[in-house]
Amino acid sequence: MKKVIDFVKPAVILLLVAAVVALVLGLVDMVTRDRIEAIAEQTMNDAMQSVLPAESYEQLDVEPDGEVDAAYEAADDAGWVVQVTEVGSQGTVTMMVGVGSDLACTGISVTDSSETAGLGAIASQASEAGDNFRSQFVGQSGTVAVTKDGGEINALTGATITSRAIAKGVTTALALCETLG
Amino acid sequence: MNAKKQLTEGLITNNPVLVQQIGLCATMAISTTLFNGIGMGLSVLIILTCCNVVVSAIRKIIPEQVRLAIFVVVIAGFVTIVDLLLQAFIPALSSALGVFIPLIVVNCIIIGRAESFSSKEGVFLSFRDGVFQGLGYTCVLVLMCLFRELLGSGTIGGGLLNGASGLITLDGTGAGFRIIPEGFGIGALTLPFGGFLTLGLLMAVMQYALRKSGEKKARKEKEVKE
Repeated sequence: MKKVIDFVKPAVILLLVAAVVALVLGLVDMVTRDRIEAIAEQTMNDAMQSVLPAESYEQLDVEPDGEVDAAYEAADDAGWVVQVTEVGSQGTVTMMVGVGSDLACTGISVTDSSETAGLGAIASQASEAGDNFRSQFVGQSGTVAVTKDGGEINALTGATITSRAIAKGVTTALALCETLG
Repeated sequence: MNAKKQLTEGLITNNPVLVQQIGLCATMAISTTLFNGIGMGLSVLIILTCCNVVVSAIRKIIPEQVRLAIFVVVIAGFVTIVDLLLQAFIPALSSALGVFIPLIVVNCIIIGRAESFSSKEGVFLSFRDGVFQGLGYTCVLVLMCLFRELLGSGTIGGGLLNGASGLITLDGTGAGFRIIPEGFGIGALTLPFGGFLTLGLLMAVMQYALRKSGEKKARKEKEVKE
């Protein structure tokens, strides 16, 4: 017959190993937490600056509804920056949309996406093709759509779904700002 | 067991990806640019080495019944540490590899080496095993990245090298050297199924080379006998 110790010993050792690992993780978290938060804030600020330059941004009280994540009002009535998440072809596409006080789009920046490399991923890349695609949205207002759907945006080659998702995101942001403004 | 034999095992004769065929999921998913490949390879190398050393150090007190649970706790610990450090110090790599860094927890290379090697061998041997197996993994990733990036998107060194000035960029923004004009690449190669094709080709080449060298050895032995 097995003794009690045979059952207890493995459990105690597992517990000890887990405790040591947890302790180490706590220490690493302490060291890295501030840095990770600062980087996230910096990335966010850079994205906002690139779509609508302003001195500061004030977060507005907007209920996240599955598409709009957050909205910010830029200083000096320059306009708004809206963070929108739409469904792309490989997952969700999160973008920052700048909207000027005249309710026209001032620029977009794709902050998080997992679109196909070489096709839809171009929308978020800092390349010439990516810049060309994103700059098409500047000045757009009302309902934004790709040429295939009767709009003015030339979709990225082989990435109509990604392009549509971004056009939809911009439309959503513009519509939200209309209610704000 | 000497270091040279362990090195050949890790790189060629017992290569984790091409011969043991473990850890294939991440291999196919991230091997699209050199930046990703080297980053992922080195992350696995570091985690594998750390886990091997720790598992080997505590191998005598690990109870048989809960050994897998302990391996997983140790691996998950190191993976989370590397994940946090990457997020804090190399955010570009962290965002490029995304979910595949946390997924190293279930990468069978690490639990496989813990179960089959470091839980039986000494600390120093396990350390070497971690480094060499990790190198073998990195080499395969780099090969796949070079192949897929060159033929798929037409560049070399994407994310790591800056084509315009020829400088090394460590923040993942470099566009790489363009070899094939934009739009002429075989886009399919950058998709996951292109990864399958590339890996299949590499494995075939590897098996061919291993068989040839085996036949050569056998012939030599025969000649010596005669």
